[in-house]
Amino acid sequence: MKKQENITREPVVDGVAASGTSNASTASTASNASSASSGSSGSDASNPESGLSRRTFVKGASVLGALAALGGGVGLFTRAATTQEALAAEDDFEVRHAFCQMCGPARVHCSTHCYLKEGRWLHVEGNPLAGNNASPGSKTLCGKGQSAMQVLYSPSRILYPSKRVGNKGEGKFERITWDEAMDIIVTTLKEQKEKYGAHSYGVLSPQFYSVLGTLGRRFLNVHGSPNYLHSGICNSQRFFSRQVTIGGSTHDKANGTDSTQLDKTKLLVLWGYNTENSAINQGNPKTRLDAMEKGLKVIDVRPMMDAMASKADVWVPVRPGTDTALVMSILQVIINEELYDKDFVENWCLGFDKLAEHMRDFTPEWASPITGIPEEQIYEVARMMGTVKPMGINIGNGVGDQHNDSHWGVACMCLISAITGNLGIAGGGSANMIMPPSLIKTKPIDLLPERLPQSQEDVENGWMAGVGNLVAPETPRWFQRAETQESGPTSAYFKGLMSVLTGEPYPLRFVFGQSSNPLSATRQPKKVAKALQGLDFYLVMDTQWNSSCIYADVILPACTNYETSQQFAVRNKANGTWIGMNQQIAEPLGESRSDWDFYVDLANRMGYGADFWHGDMEECLREQLEPSGISLEELRASNEGIFIERTDGSKPQEPEYQNYAELFKDLPEGKVQCFNEWIGGQLNNLGTGTLAYLPEYKGPAENLSTTPDIAKEYPLVITDVHAYRLCNHGYYVGVPYLREYQPYPWVKINPATAKSYGIGDGDWMRIVSPHGQIQMTAKYFEGIAPNVLMTRRGWWESCEELGLPGYTGFDDGSEVNVLYDSNPENFDLFNSAMSKQTLVKISKL
Amino acid sequence: MSNQQYGFYTDTSRCITCMACAIACKQWNGIKAGTVARRKVHTIDTGTFPNVTRTFISMNCMHCSQPACALVCPAGAISKREEDGIVVVDKDRCIGCKYCFFACPFGIPQYNEDGMDKCDCCLGNGVPSGGTPHCITACPTGALKYGTTSELSELVAEKTVRFIGVESLPSSVVT
Ligand code: SF4
Ligand code: SF4
Ligand code: SF4
Repeated sequence: MKKQENITREPVVDGVAASGTSNASTASTASNASSASSGSSGSDASNPESGLSRRTFVKGASVLGALAALGGGVGLFTRAATTQEALAAEDDFEVRHAFCQMCGPARVHCSTHCYLKEGRWLHVEGNPLAGNNASPGSKTLCGKGQSAMQVLYSPSRILYPSKRVGNKGEGKFERITWDEAMDIIVTTLKEQKEKYGAHSYGVLSPQFYSVLGTLGRRFLNVHGSPNYLHSGICNSQRFFSRQVTIGGSTHDKANGTDSTQLDKTKLLVLWGYNTENSAINQGNPKTRLDAMEKGLKVIDVRPMMDAMASKADVWVPVRPGTDTALVMSILQVIINEELYDKDFVENWCLGFDKLAEHMRDFTPEWASPITGIPEEQIYEVARMMGTVKPMGINIGNGVGDQHNDSHWGVACMCLISAITGNLGIAGGGSANMIMPPSLIKTKPIDLLPERLPQSQEDVENGWMAGVGNLVAPETPRWFQRAETQESGPTSAYFKGLMSVLTGEPYPLRFVFGQSSNPLSATRQPKKVAKALQGLDFYLVMDTQWNSSCIYADVILPACTNYETSQQFAVRNKANGTWIGMNQQIAEPLGESRSDWDFYVDLANRMGYGADFWHGDMEECLREQLEPSGISLEELRASNEGIFIERTDGSKPQEPEYQNYAELFKDLPEGKVQCFNEWIGGQLNNLGTGTLAYLPEYKGPAENLSTTPDIAKEYPLVITDVHAYRLCNHGYYVGVPYLREYQPYPWVKINPATAKSYGIGDGDWMRIVSPHGQIQMTAKYFEGIAPNVLMTRRGWWESCEELGLPGYTGFDDGSEVNVLYDSNPENFDLFNSAMSKQTLVKISKL
Repeated sequence: MSNQQYGFYTDTSRCITCMACAIACKQWNGIKAGTVARRKVHTIDTGTFPNVTRTFISMNCMHCSQPACALVCPAGAISKREEDGIVVVDKDRCIGCKYCFFACPFGIPQYNEDGMDKCDCCLGNGVPSGGTPHCITACPTGALKYGTTSELSELVAEKTVRFIGVESLPSSVVT
């Protein structure tokens, strides 16, 4: 450019820039992918040093930076801002296949082509062979996927093993070798097993993580601990509730209406379902938009008007935390106005009369002041749901697992599907298409459940092995059977960590946080930090520094998916079956190592080598691939995967409709549990009392309608989105291409409310609840009720390239979990769901 | 394909502001975060709670039939290609005066140390004239389309969506 100086006006047109809308909840769409094997990491959290305010963020950033720099920085994304400079044509690139890791560690949702030049990964796009986004030939990826290069080359990668040299929480570490690190871990685990029993070891489960779900679980079983500390913020919660209400035996069915049957659905109700933020390139919302163009009607229930909610026919902005009251009143109208299918109810429902009697007073008039939804709208929605057929309900994370009464909310939604005759019909619920068999067979990693010791207590009670020893059973012990929890026993994440503080029933001694930041992945970081501090041993393995690292005894550097070739996936589609494997596209940075290699090595060093391929992950992969007839070498050499076309003409089949005897076969009396005889009267998960037979609304611990005294001082409701399209929970917030669109911790606020407090758009504000306080920037948004705030958790990552800091996770930081109640007695007593709603007061900072 | 006019449109009924197009543009053109944005996704919210209407539109250079930017450029750095109508910038000639920014009805031109920068339909990163630009390839919902004016007109005729025409310049879109 030739220079010339005569600029008068700043030419930046960013005024209207991409507003990050977002929203409340989500649903994990059942991905069509399947077996996975190894990879790397990523998960959730926030930062140390309470009292770190926005004004001292530079200091905060240096705290974060210091830890990130633990192993020295690596070169970052260095390509200059040249634009017209011609990049060479595509055929000058080397193209390698990898699974995108941006929806979480070791995921295999989107298969990608990675474009490398001179060994450096520069560009990425979808692999057209893999059928991403429910579209054969698709090269699409979401915004996160488009940024994946910056994760590999991030300056905050952890590069070397280190051990703590100061006090826990002080953040002082010293670099050690892998051998030293492994020796410390092995010695500690062996000593503790001897002294306290193997169950003193627990692992934190972030969102579903293949490494942990396979090798991690196998290690627990062989070591002898049942303590898989499950987040409870999961599809599983919905699944358990659905299972005990209307049956269903696989996780696939937990989401309700099959997207491949949407062309037959007339009315789709989305409840706390946020796939435009959680699963953009996994077929939904694309398939939903297609169906809407062909006339599908949509009711979208969630507190904030996210993109897809704005396209719905009816938007129901339910007050956060009150969904169960709303669905109960809808059920009441359907029963009261006799909008149900009488034949179905007569033949296939258990205790319908008791339910009808019980529901009588839960009218729209009762629900309206609780939920903030006008009575007329409740009637309108109820009548639509009761009369339009086929009707499907998709239940997302927003409602299924983040309320104190999640179980009953989900149960009522299932009951509505059932009594309106929408189960087992095309376009309704429980009527998935049946795919022709996969043309490629692989062997899943055996979890070796039989290796977990069965105690006398387990035997006497008929429990699955290990259940008696759980530190904090996620679902009631009596419910944890092989048929109900396929992958084994589970403890609840938060309640399990609290054992360190309470010593009840015994304290965990060793916790492994792999790709999960407990200071953001669950409630109340202040209590979690105390627990981590009180632990004998906290081990972290992650790709990037996270704020819980300062409590670690040993920190291990994990490599990303892109630095290893240890994960494959099989996708069975109508037109054929595809198998693809990650190619290694870069040497592991520093001394980072794959999580898969770590596990088999750990097991080997523990003396469990015979069950862990003697430490050789290649052997593990060969074993998995064996039935396919495709060798590991062949699969790797194929680069973009192998597609086997279906030539026998078989097509996806419609299921046998209305086969209720089969659908309900595992339910008491083989019927829908309107009066729940499966769980009612049985011990709850705390062992403190029994569960109810009929729906109950509990609501959050602090709530406008049930705690008016608290509401006087704290007049606004706050909650946070489960998923956001520019990060993965708290992970990847520091990725430059993504951070650009959400530079500062944000909270969506109705402009009228903000103005009444003198808070301008973009201003920092203080948000105070009875449990803590945080600081966020206001984002004006009309698509949210004047008494509701919506934010996003997990802001510990800094972004060096944009000069933006990370924010702490305690008081005066920006971690919304600080605000929420965390009394385990308030959590859902069946599935351990924890509410993420509370009352707050706000002021301008 | 001589004398074609290529253009873009966003099917606002399908756009979900996922930002895939905007970020695809950056990564394929080697543009650093926090610098220029050749493609931006705008959100226009109207009404008050709970009666709110939201419109999402992904925007880049319109490759106008009579580009105002080129008309005002004192250095002759901006030109419209005969063969495909793509409006391109010759950075060697650009003097950084920013007249084009003031002239453009959409405020598209941005500047970095090399001069004015805007969408070139991915010509600079190796997509041939008439090929599919990376932002189009990226869009997970199929909201973003690229084609000749006649192809796009056909598409638009089929659907009642807002069309950013290359000739009609509805500046009201950006409010
Ligand atoms: S006037 Fe603006 S939109 Fe039109 S060609 Fe020039 S830069 Fe593009
Ligand atoms: S056509 Fe290419 S340069 Fe233009 S906006 Fe799309 S990706 Fe960017
Ligand atoms: S990629 Fe498509 S859906 Fe996403 S913001 Fe761009 S145009 Fe909209």
